[in-house]
Order: sequence, then C-alpha cells, then structure tokens
Amino acid sequence: MGASGFQRRKIELLLDEVDALPTLPGIAHRLLSVLAAPQPSRRDLQLVIEADPTLSMRALRLALDFGCAADSTTSIDAVLAATPLDAATADLLSVEIVDPAIASDLDLARLWRHTLATGMAAQAIASRIGTLPPPQALLAGILHDIGQIALAITLPRAYRQVLDHAASTGTDLVEAERKILQVDHATIGKRLANRWGFSETLQNAIWLHHQAQVPPAEEPVAAVLAQAVRLADLVVRQEGFGYLASEQIRDSTQELAERIGLSGAAAEQIGRQVASAFHLNAGPAGFEAAPTPAELQSVLSAARVRLGHLYRTQYRRGIEARAEAGRSDLLVRLSSRLAACRSAKEVLASVAAHVRETFGAGAVVVYFLSREGGYIEGILGAADGATEHFIRALKEGEGIESLVAGLLPASPAPGLPGRAEGAESWLFERHGARLGPGPFFTVPMIVGDVRVGGLVLGPTPGSGELRPRDAAQLAALASVAGAALKRAAAEAELVALSEELAEVNRDVCAAEYGRVQRRNVAALGEMAAGAAHEINNPLAIISGRAQQLAADEKVPARQEMLRTIIQQASRASDILADLRLFARPPAPKLADVDATALAREVVAEFTPGLGPKDPQLKVEAPDTPAAIRADRDQIAGALREIVKNAVQACSNGTGRTVTVSVQALGPQQTVRLSVIDNGPGMDPQVRARAFDPFYCGRDAGRRRGLGLSKAYRAVVASGGQLTLESAPGQGTAVRLTFRAAQETKS
Amino acid sequence: MKEVYSTGEAAKICRVSQQTVIRCFDAGKLQGFYVPGSRFRRIPRDALVKFMKENGIPLSNLDSGKKKVLVVDDEPEIVEMLVDALQRDGRFEVKTASCGYDAGILTQQFQPDIIVLDYMLQDINADAVTKAIRSNPSLEDTRIIIISGMIEDDKVQGLYELGVHAYLRKPFQIDTLINKIAELLHI
Repeated sequence: MGASGFQRRKIELLLDEVDALPTLPGIAHRLLSVLAAPQPSRRDLQLVIEADPTLSMRALRLALDFGCAADSTTSIDAVLAATPLDAATADLLSVEIVDPAIASDLDLARLWRHTLATGMAAQAIASRIGTLPPPQALLAGILHDIGQIALAITLPRAYRQVLDHAASTGTDLVEAERKILQVDHATIGKRLANRWGFSETLQNAIWLHHQAQVPPAEEPVAAVLAQAVRLADLVVRQEGFGYLASEQIRDSTQELAERIGLSGAAAEQIGRQVASAFHLNAGPAGFEAAPTPAELQSVLSAARVRLGHLYRTQYRRGIEARAEAGRSDLLVRLSSRLAACRSAKEVLASVAAHVRETFGAGAVVVYFLSREGGYIEGILGAADGATEHFIRALKEGEGIESLVAGLLPASPAPGLPGRAEGAESWLFERHGARLGPGPFFTVPMIVGDVRVGGLVLGPTPGSGELRPRDAAQLAALASVAGAALKRAAAEAELVALSEELAEVNRDVCAAEYGRVQRRNVAALGEMAAGAAHEINNPLAIISGRAQQLAADEKVPARQEMLRTIIQQASRASDILADLRLFARPPAPKLADVDATALAREVVAEFTPGLGPKDPQLKVEAPDTPAAIRADRDQIAGALREIVKNAVQACSNGTGRTVTVSVQALGPQQTVRLSVIDNGPGMDPQVRARAFDPFYCGRDAGRRRGLGLSKAYRAVVASGGQLTLESAPGQGTAVRLTFRAAQETKS
Repeated sequence: MKEVYSTGEAAKICRVSQQTVIRCFDAGKLQGFYVPGSRFRRIPRDALVKFMKENGIPLSNLDSGKKKVLVVDDEPEIVEMLVDALQRDGRFEVKTASCGYDAGILTQQFQPDIIVLDYMLQDINADAVTKAIRSNPSLEDTRIIIISGMIEDDKVQGLYELGVHAYLRKPFQIDTLINKIAELLHI
C-alpha cells in the first residue's frame, strides 16, 4: 500500500503541473488557419473549440482567468463571449500539438473522437429530456475524459501499460488504470477540473461518468448532467466510438436512460444519430484533416508572427495603460494639491508649479479670466526660473478680445493644446521677453462651455510639437485647473458676500444700538422729568427749612452744618437738572462759530485753576479762524467737559500734558477739535462705557459721570461727530469733527 | 396800614357801590372830610370801622395794612414752610391753597396782591391758572411768581409771555423769594 500510495501521489503532483494540454495536428492546423484571418470569425473559432477537449479546457480556463464566474461557463459560446477576442486569440495561437509518436502509439485520435461523440450525444440527450441546456451537456461531454487525456499525454509510457494491461487481461479501462497507476482518469479529471476552477456541476460530470450509482446532487441539473454524460458515453461506445475496441460494455443503456426519463430505444437512436452526424462536427474542427508537416509548419510560423504582433500590441497597450495610470496619478496629486488652495492666486501658483514639474517646460503661464471683474490674473513662471504674479485689466485693443469673447485658440482637436504665440498674443506682447524662445502651446481652461482661463507652456524637452500623450494630459490638467479656479472664484465671491453681509450686519447692529440708545435716552428723559418733580420738592423743603434754622442759629458750627445741608440739596438738584439736559438737550442754535477762538477761550478758563500737580494745558491752532456751524454754548460746554475730564485724568502725574488742537481738514470741508492727553488712558471696558451717563471711570463716587455724556449729546446735536481713542498707557484722544461753515451762505 | 380811604376804596371794602358810600357820606352817616381845595371825599379809617360796625358789615375786607400773598402748592410741607417764612417776615397776610380749584376761589375772595404758584398742581398746571388770572381785568395788578423743580430752561421764557412775573427753581433760597415778592410789590 505504501508503494501504491507513493505512485499515486507522484502522478497527482505531476498532473498538478498540467496547465495546458496539446491537441491533434489536424485540429491545431484548422484552429491556426481560423486565427490567421485578419478578423478571426468567432463562429469558426467556436466550432473548432467546442469539438476539442483540450481547446475547450483552455477556453474555459481563460474565461475564468478573466473573471467569468464558474457557474456561468456553461457553454463555449458563453466562454468566448466572456473573453476578449485578442486574449483568446493570443492564448489559442500558442496551442501545442501532440507528439505524433505518442498520438499514434496511444491512438489519441480515437480518444478525441470518443470525446466529441460523447459531447454530441450528451447534447442530443439534453435536447430530448428538456431539463438540461444542450450546450452545457456538449461541454461536459467533451470534457468528461479530460483526466484520461491528461494521463495519456503526461505519462504516455505508463498509459501504454494501462492499455496493454486492459487488452491482455480483458479488464475495464478504469480497473486497469487503478491497477497500473493507482488512480483512475475520472478521479484525475475531477482533480484537474477542481484545480482549474471549473463549476461543481462540471466537476461532478467528469468525476461520475463511470459510476454506476450517481449520488443525489443538490442541484438537479448536476445529477442529470452526470447521468446524461454517462449515458452519452455508453451509447457512443455502442456505436463504435469507444476508445478501446475491446472495451466491454457492462451497464444497461435502458436502465440508465430510464433514470433520466428516456427510453432505451430513444437512447440507442441518439447513438445512431451521433454516429451518422459525427463528421458534421468533426469536419469543421479538423478531426479528419491530416496536414503535412510543411502545412503544419506554415500555420505555426504564421501563428508565431501573429503572436508577435499581438504581443507588441499588448505591450504597447500596457505601456499606455501605465502612462494613463501615471497621468491619473498626476491628476489626482494635482487635485489634492488644489483642494488645499483657498484663492485663485494659490490655484494659479499650484497649477504653474505642477505643470513645470510634470512637463519640464521652460516657461509656464497660468491665468484666470474674470469677465465680471474685468481682469486677467495669472502666474508667470519665467524662463529664468523666477515666478511672478500679475494682474491686468481687460481692455479693448490689446489682443485679448478673443479671450473675452471666449474664443478658443486654434488647436488640432477641441480641448487639445494649440500653438500659443498667435492665440495668446496679449501675453507675448507683454511678457514675451520673460518667456524666452518657444515653441509655446496653449490649452484653454473651460468649465461648462465657459472659458475661465488658460495654460501656456513651452518649450518642452525635445522641442518641436507636443507629444499626443502630453497634449492629452495637458488638456485633462487644464480642465481640473479650470474647475479649481472656478471653485476658488466662487469661494472668493462667497467671502466677499459674507463680508458684505457682515458690513450690513454691522450697520444693522449700529442702527439697533442707536435705536436702543435713543429709546433708553427717551426713557431716561421721562424718568428725569418725573424725578425732577418728585425729588426737587423734598429738596426744596430740606433746603428751605435748613435756611430758616440757619437764620435763627447763633452757634457758628451749627450754622455751617445747616449751610452744608443747603448746598448738598442744591447739588442734588443740579444733578437732576444735568440729567434732564442730557436726556432732552435743548435744540441747538446753529451759528458760525470760530473753533480756534472757542478752544482758546475754554482753555483760558482752566488755566488759572491749574496747580502744580495738574498737567500742562496748551492749544495748537492755526492763526486763521476755523469756522464751524454749531451751537456755540453747547459746544463750549462739551469742550469744557472733555478738557476737564482730560485734566482730571492727568492730575497727580508728572510730565502730563493736555493738548487742545484745531485742524481744518480741507478736502472734507470739516474742522476737527481734538483734546489729546498723555494720561493713563482707558482700558477697553471703560472706553466702551465712557459716554454712558453716570459711568465713572475714575474713583467710584467721586463725581457724577455726566460730563462726557452731555458732551457727546451736544456735539451730535450740532451735527458733529465725537470719537474717542484710548488705551491703557497710551493716553486718550477725543476728537470732535464739525462741518466747516459755508463761506457764502444765504 | 392805610389811614385814609377814598369813596371807591371804602365801597370796595364794604362791598357796596361807590354811590352808596357817597350818599351815606353826604347824609352824615359816614364821617369824613373833603380834600382841601377840592371836592374829593376822604374817610378816615376810624370813621370807616365805626360805619361798618353800625351797619353790620364784616370787617374782614378792611385792609390790615399787610400785602396779601396766596401760596399755592400741592406739597403741604412746602406750603407750611413758605407760610412760616412769610409770616416771620411780618409784612404779609398769607392764605394758602393746595390745588388749582381752591386757588381760583381764593383769588376771587382774597384778592391777593401776589400769588406764589407751584407749576405742577394735581388738577391743573400753572399755565392755566395764569391764563385765567390774566383774562380777568379786576386781577390786572395781581403779581404771579412760579416756583417749580421741573421746568426746562427753554420753557421759562414762555411763562413770562403768559404774564408770569418771576420764576424760581426749586430748591430756592427763601430770602431770594421774599426779596422778589417785595420787589414786585414795591415794598
């Protein structure tokens, strides 16, 4: 058993190497003749292949290699349909021819005839029973002895022994195989079919065609197919299409036929039909041909030539496919590069760099055409390697009309590069020197039929015309770049839109703030009016009674206290009056006021009261009057408050100054009064509330904070503007801007 | 204090017509004299008081010799304080009202020389009171001082145009008010 196991394993390993099997010379001659035609006829090819077991096997494997599902390889027609003709041709051109010595020694022509007859019979049986596709039955019949063919061709001498053993002992062929080879051809066929990836159904038909009892299969077709093939094998052997003349027939045709729903007579009739029709299939397949060696040589060399040509074609296609893949890769890289770009300028720079790297062009120009904006923006990669960003207005008469009109440069094919020198004359007129010698090519960037820009490059290595491959790549690149530019422009538009919206929003907020402030001020006015009435009465009583007490009081200290009461009542009343004034300022009495004189006058009021701890106070004003249109008293009051505020902010510091300046701002016809101090400044919180009534940036409670509020109201009432700039450590600048008085007025 | 009255003044004090006073004077029921060198009748204060007593005429209208001041304010403390101050001065006879209605009635009855009027009363404001007084010819000489804590500066001018003689903002110096009253009444 050890030795027999070794023998069997050796055979299995040997057969594992079998990937292709040769065919008979006549069939090969016929096949190669069909393939030699410039356009091989698929029908002719099919007729040859489906009559031959080794060619059928080849075609089936090829289809499986091309990804065809095993279950759908149910006919040679389907197999060929699933395989590119070029691939099938190339594969079949390399067909091998059986060694004539072996063929004759083992009488392989007889084996081939048996397989074709079995296939034909199986096909006829399938037609008769109706539950099995006939082409599938033909294919299974043709392939049922593929294991035997493999054994015979791979181990010709051993197989000779098998045949001799069978003949001498009168045993069944399968028995002889098991005896000599330790394995029968059905098992080998099943193993091969399994390794080659054939369908389970086909594997079973190959495996079970000698089994008396076919086990029930899950798939009805599989069981029927195996039995049909077994019946076909039987009936053709009865008609003399067996492999060995001495072969004994042990099975009952009738019993087998009835298992699949046929009468024994019908099965025998099929056998006879196959016998009479055999040459109809065998002839076109070349079974009956016996080509001379010279004829065979001729088709073989033609096949070599054809094969060489096919190889070259495929090789070129392979290179193109690689280049295509490379191009796609470049485009993918460009796309990812462009995806990171946030502006048209970045896109232009990325595309220019990419084109330079990819094509090794001496100079590159990538430009964006904004019709709405009326400009061209571009990146110029000059011949000397420098890169320059340029933008120019679209103007008539500069050779750019064709751009604006969206005309495309003359090119061999739409979207492909054309010569740039004429088509993009505007570019060469302006930048020709920087671009260096040509030739230059231009590719328009087109997005949805609209020209959004262009790409100009040159010269490329090797000079002369662009290679078609590069041209195609440039066109692809230009369309990617165009899309990116369009996107960047749209993004820029969005940004502009959002900025506009933000501005509108700011205005709305300011208006809303103003509205709220006006409402607050109105409410404050009402409150102040009520408060004036309600509070001034008690104040009047407090003050009045204190006055009466004071009149009778003889003790000076008590008199002093009563005077304080009177003064504080009066002060409280003053605050109320201020508040009312702030809430409802009197209508300004506009007149022409000399701002310079006003500034000097207000500063002069302060000067006498300034002590050593107070800042230096000065006026910077032109000698000429600067007349403004304003309410003099109100503006003087405002200026007074602002100066007072500045002086107070600067007291208790050294080297502090408060400067009141007057400037006539000619072009705007405005006059500006500025009060600038170099005091401690305000932090943002204080600055934001500097004009709020009673908000006190100084020590809390020292003084009511209505001064700046009133000043602000007064300036605005006179049609002026008041701004405040301040930061901690940088002092404070309050600027009052007024319309200049008209020199001639009605 | 007034010592001698004309027949017109006596008629006003007694609330009778001037003709009645002249008839009583000529009949000797009301003692008096002629202004030397003329036919103008004059009645000494004593004779007028005797006449009024004999005829059952209330003496309330008889001039006390003091200037009559009507204080109008809806804040009782203010009224009280002003009454104190005016009485302490001694030159004034003071009556008070706390609303526009009372002020109207008292103005008719008391015939004040001057009204110290709070601007914002509970029922009516001082504009209306002033207009009513100014439209009555018999109150032509009545002086009006407005006291208020709530009149905006630019409205004050409007008060003067209505016929107000002075305006003081609350709180005020009481001396200032008294001086202003004295000034307006030439005392």
